[in-house]
Amino acid sequence: MIKVENRDLPKRYHDAVEHWQRHNFKDYDLLLKYWDKYFPKDESFCLCAKMELGTTDVIQIGEFKGEKKREKPEEMTPEQAKHLLAIIKAQASTEFGSIQQHAGTVDRARDDEDKFWTMRVMAEELRHGYQMLHLLLSEDWSSVSGGVTGEQMVEEILSMTTGSHVLDAFNLDYDSYTDNVVFAACIDRVGKYQLTMQKVCAYKPMADSMPPMLREEAFHLAAGVIPMRRWAQKAAQGDVFVTMPMMQHALNKWVPRGLEMFGDERGGDTNVKFGFKDLKNEEASSLYHEEVKKMVHDINTRFLRARFPDMTPDRCEQVLGDLERSRGTYHGVRWDDLLRVPDKRFFRRKGVHAFQMVGIDGETFESADEYLRYLAKNLNEGYVASRDMRLYAEALEKVAAGELKVEDAVKAMPKLKRVGGTCPCSKGVRWVMEDCDGGETTVAVR
Amino acid sequence: MPETTAAAKIRPLDELDLNGIVRIDEKITGRYQPDLWEQRVMFYVRRDPGASQVAEVDGRVVGFMLGDCRAGEFGLETPSGWIERFGIDPDFRGKDLGRQMFEAMCRHFKAEGATSVRTLVDRNDASLAGFLKAIGFGESPLTALERAI
Repeated sequence: MIKVENRDLPKRYHDAVEHWQRHNFKDYDLLLKYWDKYFPKDESFCLCAKMELGTTDVIQIGEFKGEKKREKPEEMTPEQAKHLLAIIKAQASTEFGSIQQHAGTVDRARDDEDKFWTMRVMAEELRHGYQMLHLLLSEDWSSVSGGVTGEQMVEEILSMTTGSHVLDAFNLDYDSYTDNVVFAACIDRVGKYQLTMQKVCAYKPMADSMPPMLREEAFHLAAGVIPMRRWAQKAAQGDVFVTMPMMQHALNKWVPRGLEMFGDERGGDTNVKFGFKDLKNEEASSLYHEEVKKMVHDINTRFLRARFPDMTPDRCEQVLGDLERSRGTYHGVRWDDLLRVPDKRFFRRKGVHAFQMVGIDGETFESADEYLRYLAKNLNEGYVASRDMRLYAEALEKVAAGELKVEDAVKAMPKLKRVGGTCPCSKGVRWVMEDCDGGETTVAVR
Repeated sequence: MPETTAAAKIRPLDELDLNGIVRIDEKITGRYQPDLWEQRVMFYVRRDPGASQVAEVDGRVVGFMLGDCRAGEFGLETPSGWIERFGIDPDFRGKDLGRQMFEAMCRHFKAEGATSVRTLVDRNDASLAGFLKAIGFGESPLTALERAI
């Protein structure tokens, strides 16, 4: 029987999360007020950690397979505990980070239903962040955290703003509500993979945290895919404000970052060896890429059926297949009027394909200038004009000119780091670039 | 008895099953209704993810069964599983897929604490009523009532 135990953080930490929410998710109370209108009869929202009970006690994978799952950090080797701590902190960072991203543009949703779906996603991400803080605070990690206390780790996580999060996908501002939706469809899908892989985690409190989070993640994916399907229909019917290029540009922005969230394609062995995840990075990111292709295929079907109402399902499949093979035109619909999933090497800045100059459809480019012009045409204007793109362009030009090694370019992509207190009012963060020797240089104060 | 058991994969519904479901419904009813199924799939994915099931053969959705586990309605305070919508591609009928999806849903309902599973059926729909009887549904003390307004 599925049993879930709800747990609260100690009051001062619970209060700290609520304080964070007041700064970063101002419409939270509005969501709770209208919850029953948009989600009638659904279980009401609970800001708490949810632990699945009755899960297996036995490690399912890795070098400790068959042994009893660990329940405390000190039951793991220091190396294992340190590795897991980094995973938990990264997971916590992503949960809080996505709320900050969503908050910037959620009010631009075209209708209230879309807005409330996004707000529910934000609330559940808040709960997921809370869940990770529970993992950090319910046990003593100080022996592997370099003396950093649970309180300090919470402070660090709650101080992060867009730009200072652990994973790059959470450091990009949204440029429009299109990003809210496409992010849910693409980046939350990475979240689904990570949570699914972590269901086997050899640290039992982590494994027990996953099923309730995964059940909520199912809604997040639908809150991305269903609006995209509806937009494809509108685009096919000639809505001038909703277009396929708009969605394509957002896919081009997010899919590369999603692929990078799995980690370098050459890695992941440690996660499997330690029993924390059941897939290596390359295996997981390839499955993800195939799943995004399926999603895009379905959205293209929705587009064609809306454009040609008399088209049968079989004919639609045939036309889609023909367009993909011929890259031609069908009754005025060009192949590139449809959505495409960017090639795995497109616009990468980390991993095995970092700083390669490969287009959406796998075409290659000889010069950085030519490639940057191509990116400018295939990403939205707001994003192209960002600091993130400027710094990427500078690094790419140096890599292409042989002035910078790829591995140094990867490190040189800037991050915001906290220098102030917990409260985001302080704006106590700065843009820093990591030097090749691990030092840091401040490039701007935010 | 079914003629054979198809090599089908029974798994929980997700948002990428929409096209498959719309396609099955279109084959059965002759109507293309993506909006309707987007609403319904969102409802079940949100309400009780893991309850609703699809049958997949060679990577293609050929059947679906949607429902959820709930309590507190019609004076039923203990949780009950509800089967509310299902469909099987006409080319894949008679292969026991309905039973397999039903059994997967029942396992989920039991895990959520339900001790019974309920549905409503049009008495005039002999084929549907026959299927439900074959998978073990019987008369209920609850009676569905209605009146025109």
